[in-house]
Amino acid sequence: MSPVIGQRLPRHDAVLQVTGRSLYGEDIKMPGMLYCKVRRAGIPHARLIEVDTSAAEAIPGVMGVVTAKDVPFNAFGFTHLDQPVMAQDKIRYEGDAIAGVAATSLEVADQAAKAIKIKYEELPAVFDPLEAMKPDAPKVHKDNIPTHFTVVHGDIEKGFAEADKIIEERYTTQFVEHVHIEPHAQLAYYDPTGRLTVWTTVQRPFLVASDLGKVLKMPLSKIRVLTPCIGGGFGGKNEMTTEAIVALLSMKTGRPVKLVFTREEEFTATTVRHPYVMFYKTGVKMDGTITAREVKIISDAGAYVSWGESTLTKALVHAAGPYRIPNVRIEAYLVYTNNNIGGAMRGFGVPQAGYAYECHTDSVARAIGMDPMEFRMKNCVVSGDTLPTGQTLQNATLDEILKKLSSMSGWKVAGGDGR
Amino acid sequence: MKKRGRGMACMYYPLGFTSYPNPSAAFAKYNPDGSATVLTGAQDIGQGSGTVLAQIAADTLGIPYDRISLIYGDTQAVPMDAGSVASRVTYIAGNAVKKACEQAKSILLDVAADMLGVLPHGLDVADGWVYLKDFPEKRVAIADVAKTAEVGRGRPAQGHGTYNPATTLLDKETGHGKPYEAFVYAAQVAEVEVDTETGEVEVLKIYAVHDCGKAINPMMVEGQIEGGIAMGIGYGLTENLVIEKGHVLNPQLANYIVPTALDVPPIESAIVEIPEPKGPFGAKGIGEPSLLPTAPAILNAIYDAVGVRIRDLPATPEKILAELEKLEKEKAK
Repeated sequence: MSPVIGQRLPRHDAVLQVTGRSLYGEDIKMPGMLYCKVRRAGIPHARLIEVDTSAAEAIPGVMGVVTAKDVPFNAFGFTHLDQPVMAQDKIRYEGDAIAGVAATSLEVADQAAKAIKIKYEELPAVFDPLEAMKPDAPKVHKDNIPTHFTVVHGDIEKGFAEADKIIEERYTTQFVEHVHIEPHAQLAYYDPTGRLTVWTTVQRPFLVASDLGKVLKMPLSKIRVLTPCIGGGFGGKNEMTTEAIVALLSMKTGRPVKLVFTREEEFTATTVRHPYVMFYKTGVKMDGTITAREVKIISDAGAYVSWGESTLTKALVHAAGPYRIPNVRIEAYLVYTNNNIGGAMRGFGVPQAGYAYECHTDSVARAIGMDPMEFRMKNCVVSGDTLPTGQTLQNATLDEILKKLSSMSGWKVAGGDGR
Repeated sequence: MKKRGRGMACMYYPLGFTSYPNPSAAFAKYNPDGSATVLTGAQDIGQGSGTVLAQIAADTLGIPYDRISLIYGDTQAVPMDAGSVASRVTYIAGNAVKKACEQAKSILLDVAADMLGVLPHGLDVADGWVYLKDFPEKRVAIADVAKTAEVGRGRPAQGHGTYNPATTLLDKETGHGKPYEAFVYAAQVAEVEVDTETGEVEVLKIYAVHDCGKAINPMMVEGQIEGGIAMGIGYGLTENLVIEKGHVLNPQLANYIVPTALDVPPIESAIVEIPEPKGPFGAKGIGEPSLLPTAPAILNAIYDAVGVRIRDLPATPEKILAELEKLEKEKAK
């Protein structure tokens, strides 16, 4: 037996953790460090006319202010280059960054951020993705549907024709914040040789380095991203947030600049779990055979795509559930609104779909009077089965899991495992 | 009246990105004092992936766990990694670390074979020693071999490794493709008590059975399962960021309700350990999947208890009471 693999060993950093000696984002400090505050839009949809920073700059202790004008290339995004570092001509949600301030104290930075004047012309806004899909809806970007997908497997009409019963339901989910215990924290230092060092609490430091290179138009050889100990992420720390603002302020002032998000900023100006609207329709025979399943998903992207397309593809592939269904059709739409930005969050689109397909599967089982455990044992995928996307499963374990769960929880099923 | 019910839910979930390449790279070296250093781009974010990678390295290199120095968190110093996301670190970064360690080990065994006067394929490593598999008494300390490799032979025992799951893109018309290399599966049962006067739901117990391939560290797997369930309870019952006309109404922990220890019921978890041939030591992953079945299992249990199906998350007391009222009216007809 291995002395290591399969063993209940303590965390590699356990002693530092339990003695409170781990260095988190907030613990990183440099001599001469300035404090940053970011001014947010505070309105959901508007044409941005002017950002007047003069009153902020006049406050003693304010060492530098940056706006969209200071960003060399003001767009980033993993699949769609639609998100600005700071709003340029348009405000698309309340959390849009407008300007960054660096000052000798956090209090002064806060005061200065509030002193920035934003001149704007409000635009009609849209908050419901179903409304935003309509042709006459206010446009968040040029087209409110940045992407859509379809999965077709078998013959859906034939499948419904074979069914004894057809069950249709609509499920919806809410906005959820990650609430990682440690808020985002960043410290940037642009040194006299032109090298930029950024400490930041992220799950993907290489992606942040690459995005910083693009928006700052700097070669990667001059960018070093360091990560301290990180207090949770759950997908909320998957991408660049305000690192470029902090970096630009360090370039402008020649001093290290630090920013730590407040809990309120975590709720108002970082990504959330996408709310989904989901339509499920399933055909089933009285013996418990599923003949067809049709799914339509509408995902509220919020103001920018961020991880919206990638989460939707993951939801799409899994939306029919881990069941053997010969005829499937899945449609999925990503829709811009003036809500907070949907991003990555633990489960990446599948918790939304999973909530719907599992409650719906329960409704289907009950509609034919079959025990929900027995119904799942009968229909669950096994090795060799094909997913709606055409992939053949290898080493599927759900049948073993259900047997174990049935005995462990005392949820007995008539006729053993139902097969 | 308080009514009890039980509900269940299944899930399956992939390891890694959908279709797109998401490689991990790693570097490993034996040090002349018998310790080893492993460089990885995979960031520990509190979930304990660093522990798992150190365990994979320790076993592969034959070095005690506490003599592995795991270095990460510097884009100019450590090898590339696609990130601590997508439940991918144990499987993908773990494979990269294992490959890097195997390359370092093959140099170590070459040098040790020379020192012992045997052929390298008859040798293996464990607990700080290189030993002859058929005759373990014939052995030499890894520290001595590592030192000889560097100082005597000029061939430091080090290696690198990369791993990227084999996937294809999804077809634009049909959605067909092989977007993932491996999946994990799970199912949970929730037992709840619903107060028909107040609409409040108490989760009494969760049974959770998860497949993560071989569990490299069962304690960490259980920790992930329990943490995921806590998050799933919040998703199902309480968490709701209220955004009205683009404005967040509850941006504080005082009114955005995450579960506390008091809201988490006894959890009985089990791991179905079926090794995945492509995983390091047969391991897959557990990060995100632990959360997935919890909310639907609870909502199905609510239905079982009181006969109302909440089709809009979260299942707040207000929604449950409104549905109960509707049910009463229908019955009265």
